[in-house]
Amino acid sequence: MTTDVQTLTVVGTETSRTRRHIISVVSHVLLVGASILMLYPLLWMLASTFRPENEIFSSSSLWPSSFSIDSYIRGWNGLRVSFGTFFLNSFVIAILCVAGNVLACSMTAFAFARLKFRGRNFWFALMLMTLMLPYHVTLIPQYVLFLNLGWVNTFLPLIVPKFLASDAFFIFLMVQFFRGIPRELDEAAMMDGCSAWRIYWKVMMPLSLPVLATAAIFTFIWTWDDFLGPLIYLNEMRQYTVQLGLRTFVDSTGESDFGGMLAMSVLTIVPVFLFFLFFQRLLIEGIATTGMKR
Amino acid sequence: MAASVELRKIVKSYGDLEVVHGVDLTIEPGEFVVFVGPSGCGKSTLLRMIAGLEPITGGELLIEGERINEVPAAKRGIAMVFQSYALYPHMSVYQNLAFGLETAKMPKPEIRAKVQKAAQILRIEPLLDRKPKQLSGGQRQRVAIGRAITREPRIFLFDEPLSNLDAELRVQMRVEIAKLHNDLGNTMIYVTHDQVEAMTMADKIVVLSAGNIEQAGAPLDLYNKPANLFVAGFIGSPKMNFFDASVDAVDPAGAKLGIAGGTLAFNRSVSAGKGDKLTFGVRPEHIGITEGSGVPMANVKVDLVENLGGQTLLYTTAPDGSGLTIVLEGQRDIALGSTVTAHIDPAKCHVFGADGNVA
Repeated sequence: MTTDVQTLTVVGTETSRTRRHIISVVSHVLLVGASILMLYPLLWMLASTFRPENEIFSSSSLWPSSFSIDSYIRGWNGLRVSFGTFFLNSFVIAILCVAGNVLACSMTAFAFARLKFRGRNFWFALMLMTLMLPYHVTLIPQYVLFLNLGWVNTFLPLIVPKFLASDAFFIFLMVQFFRGIPRELDEAAMMDGCSAWRIYWKVMMPLSLPVLATAAIFTFIWTWDDFLGPLIYLNEMRQYTVQLGLRTFVDSTGESDFGGMLAMSVLTIVPVFLFFLFFQRLLIEGIATTGMKR
Repeated sequence: MAASVELRKIVKSYGDLEVVHGVDLTIEPGEFVVFVGPSGCGKSTLLRMIAGLEPITGGELLIEGERINEVPAAKRGIAMVFQSYALYPHMSVYQNLAFGLETAKMPKPEIRAKVQKAAQILRIEPLLDRKPKQLSGGQRQRVAIGRAITREPRIFLFDEPLSNLDAELRVQMRVEIAKLHNDLGNTMIYVTHDQVEAMTMADKIVVLSAGNIEQAGAPLDLYNKPANLFVAGFIGSPKMNFFDASVDAVDPAGAKLGIAGGTLAFNRSVSAGKGDKLTFGVRPEHIGITEGSGVPMANVKVDLVENLGGQTLLYTTAPDGSGLTIVLEGQRDIALGSTVTAHIDPAKCHVFGADGNVA
């Protein structure tokens, strides 16, 4: 009797193990398939940069018939201005925007989260309401403003607003994060003689690396990828960002250089990828409450 | 370094809600004062007002005779140890201890010397390079105290500093804080809801309830002569037994009280007339069950016996149905359901009038 029960248990265990195995294989096949589907355009773009120009749109294969880096050389030097200039412009704008957004938004968020001032809730609600405004609604008034300031055809309209805490989304994100940092830390710092500024700089900022990294990553990606802003405010080719530079390869009146465009597109992705790789480790570093007992 | 603290009619309101109602208190230099009371009684609010973390709505706060209501927290010469430790998680222990001194722009060699001295006092020298997350609860608490010591304050404030520690560590830290007070001699104000901490550490206990001081005095004064029902019930563990009582007869030599279905000849007069309703209180440790332990009060039925080794606790029921807790010294073999006669020493009993104050 006991042997029968044991045999049944062993058979049952083996059946369920086989079933789990099959489910695991099927789900992995599905996941790999979905990944290929997602990655295919990127891989196709990468493969196309090594193909001869005439093969680009005639083959959907991910393996070029012959390898050549001509597209990269042509793309880098093929325009009136070297693509390196566009990279430099994009870097300058993106890095300044990151610095501006992180500093200005965190200062504003600190004020909303920690300081007491008249009308704080009203201003916070007003700030949140700006989230509902589509970018395109404010586009023309902003353009007129910057035109009157004489800033059109400079980087200033793309950079200066970031130093004025214009990104309500990040302010909101940081306010929520700061509210999660125990208030006793501020109070301990107050007892230690800190001013509001020193509490912000010495206590809140180091404890807010995850949210600051989030703001930095997204600001960098959004600024780097921004096409509309530079298109509106930058007119001279020497001031173009990479996104405008890529657009220049496609000429509706003459011959387009798709090979060069795809090659430069691949290079354009690299900084975003590296930036994310560098900052993402900060996203998971949650250290805010490790000195507290809760 | 010790300083006196004086609270004159201190009031705290949040909008229309008044939570501290005109508190008057004088703390002598070097005194160890414990604010004790149930949750929501205003003890932490009072401490935070002294610290400068809460604005004072009304009244005056004086340190060394100087009004400091509007003086910022950092300039009051006060250091505070928080319930949650509030160590800066991103700084090492050394940096935590040095932070206040760096903020005060003290020269680095001086900072190093002060930090080393504090670390030596609290025996945390090997921990100076660690981050708070690498410390145990007790070590964090030491660092929090160390951070207060380095600033060499006139007054130390402790806001329930031991409530997050386990029972053993709590006793250990309690002793260490008491020693620290003896060594440093600073004025210390300590908030707790644990009356054992209050009794063991304080020079003066301030019992608070609903934003008022119920009684302030030396621990044994509060234990022996509680001013009212609240203090009598709050100080002492297990808490005092209370009975409804009536004055059966008034005599210059004493009064006869009807208690728990019996009559007790009280050997002192009470400020009440015949027939008045009173509350009679007796501490569990002041009740005996043998004839030599006082005058008989009532025959009580034993419902539960707790043998603690050094003491035996009896939970009993009096003839009128009221509960009576008795603490006996040593180990006793008393059967459940048996009847014993509770004897009390009238000199150690307390009588409270209808207003809750001593009658």
